[in-house]
Amino acid sequence: MLKIRKRDEPWKWGALVVFLGALLFSLLVGGLILAGHGKDALHALDLLWQGSFGNAWALEGALLKAIPLFLCSLGVAVAFRMQIWNIGAEGQFALGAIGATWMALTFPDLPRYVLLPLMFIMAFVFGGVWAFIPALLKLKLRVNEIISTLMLNYIAILLLDFLVFDAWKDPASFGFPMTPEFTPGAVIPSIGNSGIHWGLFFCVVVGFGLWGFMRFTRLGFELKASGEGARVAKYAKIRYGMLVLFVMTLSGGFAGWAGCIETSAVLGRLQGSLMVGYGYTAIVVAWLARLEPLNIAFASFLLAALRVGVENMQLELQIPAAFGSILEGMILLTVLAGQFFLTYTLERRQGGE
Amino acid sequence: MTELHFTRPVPVRAVPEGTRPVVSLKGITKRFGKVLANDSISLDVYPGRIKALLGENGAGKSTMMSMLAGRYKPDEGTIEIDGQSVRFTSSKDAIAAGIGMVYQNFMLVDSMTVAENVLLGQEGSLFINPAEMEKRVGELARRYSLDIDPGARIADLSMGERQLVEILKLLYRESRILIFDEPTAVLTPEETGNLFKALWNMTEQGKSIIFISHKLEEVIALADEIAILRRGRIEGELDPSLIESKAELASRMVGKEVLLEVNREPVETGRTVLEIKSLTGLGLVDVDLTVKRGEIVALVGVAGNGQKPLVEAVTGLTRPPVDTVFIMGHPWRKFFAESTWNRSMCYIPEDRLGLATLRNQNLVDNLLLTTRKGFAKGLWLDKKRAARDTRELIEKFDIRPGRIHALAWQLSGGNLQKTVLARELYRQPRFIVAEQPTQGLDVSATEEVWNRLLEARSMAGVLLVTGDLNEALQLADRIAVIYRGQILGVLDTADADTPSKIGPLMAGVID
Repeated sequence: MLKIRKRDEPWKWGALVVFLGALLFSLLVGGLILAGHGKDALHALDLLWQGSFGNAWALEGALLKAIPLFLCSLGVAVAFRMQIWNIGAEGQFALGAIGATWMALTFPDLPRYVLLPLMFIMAFVFGGVWAFIPALLKLKLRVNEIISTLMLNYIAILLLDFLVFDAWKDPASFGFPMTPEFTPGAVIPSIGNSGIHWGLFFCVVVGFGLWGFMRFTRLGFELKASGEGARVAKYAKIRYGMLVLFVMTLSGGFAGWAGCIETSAVLGRLQGSLMVGYGYTAIVVAWLARLEPLNIAFASFLLAALRVGVENMQLELQIPAAFGSILEGMILLTVLAGQFFLTYTLERRQGGE
Repeated sequence: MTELHFTRPVPVRAVPEGTRPVVSLKGITKRFGKVLANDSISLDVYPGRIKALLGENGAGKSTMMSMLAGRYKPDEGTIEIDGQSVRFTSSKDAIAAGIGMVYQNFMLVDSMTVAENVLLGQEGSLFINPAEMEKRVGELARRYSLDIDPGARIADLSMGERQLVEILKLLYRESRILIFDEPTAVLTPEETGNLFKALWNMTEQGKSIIFISHKLEEVIALADEIAILRRGRIEGELDPSLIESKAELASRMVGKEVLLEVNREPVETGRTVLEIKSLTGLGLVDVDLTVKRGEIVALVGVAGNGQKPLVEAVTGLTRPPVDTVFIMGHPWRKFFAESTWNRSMCYIPEDRLGLATLRNQNLVDNLLLTTRKGFAKGLWLDKKRAARDTRELIEKFDIRPGRIHALAWQLSGGNLQKTVLARELYRQPRFIVAEQPTQGLDVSATEEVWNRLLEARSMAGVLLVTGDLNEALQLADRIAVIYRGQILGVLDTADADTPSKIGPLMAGVID
């Protein structure tokens, strides 16, 4: 018989072991599902590997997808740290894209070094305001932020649709729902000759910035402390309400930046295909990474690579697109379940009961 | 104050000749880590009688009943039902054996009717139509004269009626032994009276009832026998008709033995740090209290008599009425708007892990929790200095394990309390509110905490809220006794007859 016992000391490297174990387990189950569909599981997993990490082109694709994922996830994680359940990154991402596009379309002739900062500022403001609304509703009217942030996602997507179908539609697009192409000043350039743009550098700066903020500033400390609940915050005389507003604005602003980068660097215009669910995957990433900025970088790259790899598999083996989501969900579930082993350990019961 | 609306129909019932107990606990012991929650407890419960289990918070009542209800397994000893030794592996086993428990928090589905809740999860209940359900439950309620409409929705019911539904659930499962954990805590006096009539009725029909409470008058009014539990042991079993006064019962419940003594030199008193003026509201009635620098004032009473609202109002967790609470000479509002991180008020709460510390953070972050303003340099926090000061405090207070990277939840109760105390004294407080500061601590940690509080008198006044009379007598200069939100008396510990006066006051007896 095995007995469950609480660990006295934290398990060194436990988080890594659990993560890798869960990943392996999920791939195994994924392989079994494929085998059940009559596909060659080993070949499929090889395709997945090749598609994700097999060549420079695949890695580049993964890195590109990891950028918006990282920023959204960072935003989600800051809010989650404080136990504010912002699941509206998707909508805040859309609003950021709208804010950036507004600048790009209004001032097309400004030089890049003026226009890009303007777009980033407006993306942060739009995304931030979109998250500020549910925060205010939570504080003033006790509206559950899970519901309000989720609902605002739908409103945001409809707003984006309205803009690309109507208000901002390119007259020369032959009826396709998209805005005119951005002027070169509104496009984030690539790094050298690679397919990677400078948004990556921006991510690194924001990542380190947030890490330093959480670790070395008083406000960052108060955020961390409030994560233990409103009562502890009150005990420590922390202004909890102010922090909720602040953290949600920050969270929405980050997602807004992701929307700005994706629109400017990848699409070069605003269109509906922008919305591929980064805002939702970001929640998965944040939990996988246990809300730690450095882990979020790894986890976003991993899940982005998984997306690219699954696309490759889909093309080669005619596997439904849902398989990617299944794998994503499975990894999250097994990692979360596996965290049981970080606080508890199994030991052999001595000599029966 | 409303009194109890219940008089027992007949005097305390005698156990009929030759009746065998339905439940016998034999030498039950339960440990949680190093804490001995139940220490070889033996107890018999007879059919058709109400057994009251009296004890302070933390005396081990809930642990004991959880074992009987199958939620915990005893480490030693056996439980016998009808003379047969049983071993419950889950609460299902206990229910099957006829033991049912009404918890303080009701487990009912608000959107369903009384009858649906009673039949929920019962075998075959899925296919019974609503009319049939209501008929069955209605009959059951009539049999035990429980006044409730089986078709009513839970959401529309009062707390007292919801409790009747919980009782009906147990009766429907044919439980023979019904355990009530502080059942009157959520009830109005009227409802309490009704509940007691219902309980009496059930015992008349052969059920056994275990009634857990720390309300003395209820226990005396209702029980056929009283068992007193203290520090995990059965302190004694009494016949309620032989109890001379509530005071006697109170002093047996809290105990009078002196476990630990400290040397208390008087300190000259200074300015007033806390003044409460005729505070009424929040469950308190016309409370007046002052604390001066250099003295310790203890607030004692049976748990749940208004200590909590008083502490919350004083420490800023809830807002008291205007012009009732003055801290360090300032009205409440002004004090909390302007209070600084140091040389001010500090609060050592009863809930150390849930309120006073960040359970998943290290000791440096836990030091910063209330002192962060002292380490702020503009926007930044001086973490280096915080780490250095944490190290010094760990050494000074001998906090183990002596690493600054230990997380709060990894510390033992005593070390956690020392951490909180070290941090709060670091703030050089002028006024300290200490709530159950030694609850759950071993003797050496208790002594340490006591000495620190006595030392603190040189700079601060202390309001000590405690359930431990010995602690109050050892540390305090004055003891205020609270009963039903009222301070019935403030006694000077220098008077020789103070210890004997506390018990009656705690029971609400004023002579």
